[in-house]
Amino acid sequence: MTRMKPMARASLSRTRALIDALRTRLGAADPMPPRPAVPVIPAPPAHVFPTPARRGRYAADAARHTTALVGIGHVGTRYATDVVLQFKAELAVAHEAVAAELPAGWFEQQGYLGLHSQARDHREFLLRPDLGRRLDEDSLQRLRARGGAAPDVQIILADGLSAVACQGSGVALCTQLADACRARGWSVGAPVGARFARVWLEDEIGEVVGAKVAVIVLGERPGLGTGDGLSAYLVHAPRIGNVDGQRNMMSNIHARGTPPAQAARRLAALIGAMLAQGTSGVGLDLAGIAELDGLETGYRAPQVRERLVEVG
Amino acid sequence: MRLEATIRGVRHRFDSVKQVLARANPPRSGDDLAGVSARSAVERVAAMAVLSELTLAELRAHPVVPYEEDEVTRVIEDALDEQAYRAVKDLTVGQFREWLLRTETKGATLRAIAPGLTPEMTAAASKLMSNLDLMTVAAKCEVVVRANNTLGLHGRLSSRVQPNHPTDDVDGILYSTREGLAYGCGDAVIGVNPATDTPESTAAILRALDDLLRRNQVPTQHCVLSHVTVQMKALALGCPMDLMFQSIAGTQGGNQAFGISVALLDEASAQIQAQGSARGPNRMYFETGQGSALSSGTHHGADQVTIEARAYGLARRYQPFLVNTVVGFIGPEYLEDGPQITRAALEDHFNGKLLGLPMGCDACFTYHARMSQDELESLKVLLGAAGCTYLMSLPVGDDIMLNYQSTSFHDIPSVRGLLGKRPTPEFDAWLAARGIWDDGPGPRFGDAEAIR
Repeated sequence: MTRMKPMARASLSRTRALIDALRTRLGAADPMPPRPAVPVIPAPPAHVFPTPARRGRYAADAARHTTALVGIGHVGTRYATDVVLQFKAELAVAHEAVAAELPAGWFEQQGYLGLHSQARDHREFLLRPDLGRRLDEDSLQRLRARGGAAPDVQIILADGLSAVACQGSGVALCTQLADACRARGWSVGAPVGARFARVWLEDEIGEVVGAKVAVIVLGERPGLGTGDGLSAYLVHAPRIGNVDGQRNMMSNIHARGTPPAQAARRLAALIGAMLAQGTSGVGLDLAGIAELDGLETGYRAPQVRERLVEVG
Repeated sequence: MRLEATIRGVRHRFDSVKQVLARANPPRSGDDLAGVSARSAVERVAAMAVLSELTLAELRAHPVVPYEEDEVTRVIEDALDEQAYRAVKDLTVGQFREWLLRTETKGATLRAIAPGLTPEMTAAASKLMSNLDLMTVAAKCEVVVRANNTLGLHGRLSSRVQPNHPTDDVDGILYSTREGLAYGCGDAVIGVNPATDTPESTAAILRALDDLLRRNQVPTQHCVLSHVTVQMKALALGCPMDLMFQSIAGTQGGNQAFGISVALLDEASAQIQAQGSARGPNRMYFETGQGSALSSGTHHGADQVTIEARAYGLARRYQPFLVNTVVGFIGPEYLEDGPQITRAALEDHFNGKLLGLPMGCDACFTYHARMSQDELESLKVLLGAAGCTYLMSLPVGDDIMLNYQSTSFHDIPSVRGLLGKRPTPEFDAWLAARGIWDDGPGPRFGDAEAIR
């Protein structure tokens, strides 16, 4: 059987005429079957993605509890066009957050000592976590030259996997955390920023300045439509060679998870436990720390998913 | 054992079986990071040639981590079925590959020899296989397990509903769960990764899921994927729990980094057998992923495909209901881009199935890996065609807590429709009775209000 190319209507009619003529010459008596009618294409489907004006009841109820995209309907088994556009826009936001880099001199403008890991560029940073865990030689010299004041707490702000989040609420979180620490009577090292930094960089920085506890605040890997989340990792007695089991961490520090002000109080409580018990990570006993219990059970962040695409 | 090969007059020599296995691996950013990959494309082929001439017996004799040093190696070696092993031990890896691909080699035969295979053997075969080779063999394997329903039958494609929430808001979790069920998802498990790792929150989520599943008489399983020690405490609190979960790695050190050991898993498995709420005998759920041992520096200089397969060798001890590789989750430092993630998913599925596990896959990427949404959607079809036991499912594939892109509620019915697959028999009947899906979308398809 030969395969037919798609044809315009006019040529299809011509083909029918040719077939009809051929059939007549071959002696066919019955008439050609009628040409199948082209179905009427229905009006464009209604927008299914719930804007506030036309959101379904389920989506509206769910939106009070979650930013998950539910109640979005379907076309066959697939998404409505409106959902596709929202999804593509959110994907673009996430990819932009990953690709973003801190502007040159950004840490210095914030009054931070700006340091640099051994990763030379962003791509190497993504593929070589080992290089993101150590300071380059110049940064190490500058940190040493500043002199270690052996503070109780050293806070480090870093780009991690989202420079966007670092620039967004990073300074606010670090400032609030430093204030909370000082209010409890602990000394806090002068602020340090690190570019192309992984979590374990806190070991080297904390060790050089002689801190009892090091805290690194990093942009966490972006989610769909977001790039504003921060994570904080804390370690008692920071030393090169510490492992993850010696750390405590807090993630999802953003408006939909734990907002920075709440996070600062909770991190200060964790630091208090570390200073009191002289340890961190799996060995740290968190029972009976009121700040931690209260935040986990009593607080519910507002759940807002921003609509990104409006045409016209 | 000759560990050398000549290509166009150049002789390539290798120091050990472990090095041959690593250098025969297809390109992998994690192997580059570990410094174990082939130094050139030609050397990779030389390693494949050497590997093709090694026998399965030689691979058994040279595990990538020594028996004396590693309890994962000991678990695999001590439990090996000698009768099944004898049937294949004299095959070279090249011959083994061809035997697996032969039309005459049926699924029942593969199931029979599975207990005689070590992870090093299946991983070695995978290195000589293309993506379509891997799919062809895996599609023959049938691994059937039973909890509240029957998973893994031929012609079926199941899914986990993964209704995660950044603050464990139970109402938010239930809204996502109901939506997923309305798209015909969730026959493998309703599984929540909690944001808070406490026995109380684990128990609270399980009770809420249990109420929902009972109210709607859904024939499936529930699980909260907190650390195994947390789940053990939650179970001791008396909450319902169908499946007990833990992330595992292919080395003892990797498992130590996860805070577990064989002894702890033995204890957890015994507890869920005694106190779990599922009706069937398969009650453990494991997740794995290439690169997890390397990320804790416990890979012993071995490549990540082989180490990953060893995690399945450990999982086998517990006759789990679910095992899945979370293939693109850790990041581009282990699997750099779409082709690497795609290939790794098919390798892991092949290795898991050949070792006798009900293997699923979380086909996913993080937003800093170079994989497009189109590539990810293609991978779901490849996995479905390869007979993958189950995929994940989330609202638009977006995990709002763990921040990565996986399979969506819409993808599961789409792939089932394309490939003519159905959910588990019990779940299939439930969907038909509810008007959600009966060989195609029913009147309540996508209508979460159909679930109370």
